[in-house]
Amino acid sequence: MGALGPMRTTFNILLLCTIIAVPVGAQSIFEQRHGEVVRIASGERDRSFSTITAKLKAGNDVPYALALLDTLTVDEAIGGMFYSYSLIGCYLHTQDLLPDSLKRKVREAYRTRTMYRGDTENHWVMYYTGLYLAAQTWPNEGGSRWFNGRSSSENFQEAGDWLNHWVTTSSTIGQGEFDSPTYVTTFITPMLVLYDFARDPVMKKKAQMMLDLLFVDFAAEHLKGNYGGGHSRDYPEDIINPLAAPSTFWAWLYFGEPGFPPWNETRYRPRHRSAWEPVFGAVSSYRLPDIIYHIATDRTVPYVHRETKRVRNVIRAGREMNPPVYKYTYVTNDYILGSLHGGILQPIQQHTWDVTYASDKPNNTIFTLHPFYSGKELAMFFPEEEKFLSDEVDRYHKVYTNPNKWNSSSPYEQTFQHENALIILYHIEQGAKQPHVDGFFPKNLDELLRDPSGWIFCRAARTYVAIYPLKPYQWMEEEVNWRLRSHELNNGFIVEVGSADEDGSFEAFQEKLLQRKPEYKNFDSTRTVEYTTRQGAKMKFTFDGERVLNGDRPSFKDYGFFNGPFIQSALESGVIRMQYKDKTRTLDFKNVSIVETP
Amino acid sequence: MMLLLLLTLLSAFGSPPYDPVDVSLTQLRPAFYAAVYLNKGSIAVGTLTGIGLFRRYEGDSVWTNIRPNTITPGVGFASFGGRHQLYLAGGNGLHRSTDGGSTWRILTGWRTKEVLSVAPDPVDSLRLYISTPFGVYRSTDGGGTWVEKMKGFKTWYVRRVILDRVDRTVLYATGVDALYRSTDGAESWEQLSVGVPEIKWVLQHPVDPNLLLVGTEDHGVRYSTDRGTTWKQGAGLNTSAVYSLASTPDGKELYAAGFQTGVWRSTDLGASWSQVWTASGLDAIYTVFVHPRNPDHLMAGINGSGVFESFDRGRSWHDAGLPTAIVRQIEMYP
Repeated sequence: MGALGPMRTTFNILLLCTIIAVPVGAQSIFEQRHGEVVRIASGERDRSFSTITAKLKAGNDVPYALALLDTLTVDEAIGGMFYSYSLIGCYLHTQDLLPDSLKRKVREAYRTRTMYRGDTENHWVMYYTGLYLAAQTWPNEGGSRWFNGRSSSENFQEAGDWLNHWVTTSSTIGQGEFDSPTYVTTFITPMLVLYDFARDPVMKKKAQMMLDLLFVDFAAEHLKGNYGGGHSRDYPEDIINPLAAPSTFWAWLYFGEPGFPPWNETRYRPRHRSAWEPVFGAVSSYRLPDIIYHIATDRTVPYVHRETKRVRNVIRAGREMNPPVYKYTYVTNDYILGSLHGGILQPIQQHTWDVTYASDKPNNTIFTLHPFYSGKELAMFFPEEEKFLSDEVDRYHKVYTNPNKWNSSSPYEQTFQHENALIILYHIEQGAKQPHVDGFFPKNLDELLRDPSGWIFCRAARTYVAIYPLKPYQWMEEEVNWRLRSHELNNGFIVEVGSADEDGSFEAFQEKLLQRKPEYKNFDSTRTVEYTTRQGAKMKFTFDGERVLNGDRPSFKDYGFFNGPFIQSALESGVIRMQYKDKTRTLDFKNVSIVETP
Repeated sequence: MMLLLLLTLLSAFGSPPYDPVDVSLTQLRPAFYAAVYLNKGSIAVGTLTGIGLFRRYEGDSVWTNIRPNTITPGVGFASFGGRHQLYLAGGNGLHRSTDGGSTWRILTGWRTKEVLSVAPDPVDSLRLYISTPFGVYRSTDGGGTWVEKMKGFKTWYVRRVILDRVDRTVLYATGVDALYRSTDGAESWEQLSVGVPEIKWVLQHPVDPNLLLVGTEDHGVRYSTDRGTTWKQGAGLNTSAVYSLASTPDGKELYAAGFQTGVWRSTDLGASWSQVWTASGLDAIYTVFVHPRNPDHLMAGINGSGVFESFDRGRSWHDAGLPTAIVRQIEMYP
């Protein structure tokens, strides 16, 4: 110990005392981080209302911010749902700093820009939030003053009606664009702006409750910045690299995880144009309830979390517009194994299942899929002609018809999960396009063993994954991953996930798996597989048939709206109860109230 | 005096939702209107300057976007006592302009969502029908309120609704699974046994109202000479997807077009068809149009290639503008 040793020790003790004295929770996390978001964003030069807001709030680069805002209000090439809500959000946050001439230009934009409403749930949330707040901001004006020819009161009424409808739907049967690491931003941000500026106390309260719901929905399937479980919609880049998704930024700001800021690591930087939308969180008066923070971060006890969501509007296949979606997620301190029950639940960007594990490395996920595409699938949801749709979607999403894509909904894929074990079955019709299944295995796994027994063993840090392909496969090397590809039409995988906590050593984990194999004789005709997990659960699953667990037939009705240790809600009740230890927080959407105990 | 004028204008159009402003309605020049749904030249939603409703005056060659940044599947028109109402069926709903396209008002709210087609009643100015991916809606107060009218339908999506030329209580609607007919002003609907699903277009013959023709997905053109009771296959287009049908004003020549079909003509009321234009190198033809006063003049709206035009009944065609546009409907008003 050198001369400074005693002093350093004293300093460290003081620092430790300080850390201990500060209660860890949502508030302390947010207080530490929101200013940093504004400061960093204020130095950005992208053309977004988020960074304009940050610059004006921080007093940094103000002339540029004002000039950019001026340009964006008169650029006739833009206008839409993203524009609609973020322009009014920027305006309301910064209006005291704007010259009158610029205020008039912002107002004029809502007359001269045709704000396209869009055709998805997130589009409408953004569009109607923008319309609601703009009509509230400029009341008592006639139709000639608005892009749609409707008066302020008509716009306010319509926007309010739809927002109320959306809140009711989302809090009773769920969102159609549920649990999306990308699109969650497009729900959180409008709700933040609505919460901050809605003058109607009931609407403000609903915005607060929707924020609580969006965040707790995320929190229950959150692990160290990752949004685990099945997703309604996500992009391939985020699916194969979960911390690259925009949801990571929200997790960092509100949950305090991951520990590093999203903008400092190139590989984690959200790639979307709305990357700086958390600025609207950083400058918001909304504060995450502590209970949600704890639900997001306490992983001391593994748990099963089940949910019911809904399918996006089905317009062409019968009269059931929003069939239910059943989600099953198993969460531990090291990994999340989650799955949707399978089939076409969302077009284009569905992510049916994966195991996502805590890791310092990117590409921290393993999953399989069938890369399905079909004009018929798209025509179920979109009004365009079936023969055009695949090309049309490819123009926007680039990879829809790509046989190597990493997101897909498929009618030929079904799952059955019990805790940390999962069976995925595929029954691809003869003549189907892209008749193969693919599996994603990151190359940066700490250990990878394709055992002669048929099991593939993977270790990433403290997480162990075992996958048993039912059929022969090819093993292909790609840039960041190995691709398992199998051309067998009747196919499937057994997945077991473990950890150092659950299984001890990786070798011990392997040993347990080597003692078991699935039963699937005559699989091509029966499409039935039986498997006993390493923890003794007997699973039997038939494609398009029964799921049997220890002789019982689990019912999706038991999923409720939410059913897990942290969130409970009966489907269609509109009452969502959060629980963490002895604390509860209940969102009662029918009575627009929040009750906390103790 | 000004107050009197204002009151006169208001009384002419009733109370809101009718638009209080009304200029030069009787001077609307004949023009072609092209409904541009999307544009392959621009991809980002919210930055779509190449979509909307385009107008080209007769005798002119330039298309002008009169309602930009609006996904536009359809267009409609009605005229009452020389007062014209122009309709745009669009992504934000049903738009109406009563001043020749200078200003617009959206008539529908959030429940009707995207509007695919509009059928204004030609006699009752307050009665309107629209088709949407979420069904048929009717307004009896000029677009102020809308009521879903789906009794009898088995699926939601309705691409197109039209009114019978003779009996205004009769409507036809193209559903996913069938052609539907209502005989009570959309209160209820019955399936007509065309024999194939996926009806894309319905055309009532301009002279013989008993003759109905439909374009179908992968089954070409089918026609009925008894107003929909029995149906026959039009020969020559048996397995094609036909998205659009049009007729010369005298009904002697009929045209059909669709997915990689080119343009086809029938001179025997739909019984047989022959190709008049291959449209080589072009994608689907979404809509085919015949000038209402000049049967030599045809137009075709192409999926991603704008408008093509013929002045010799389809023998030769030339590019007529709106490159990269996905054109869903072309009409001429008034």
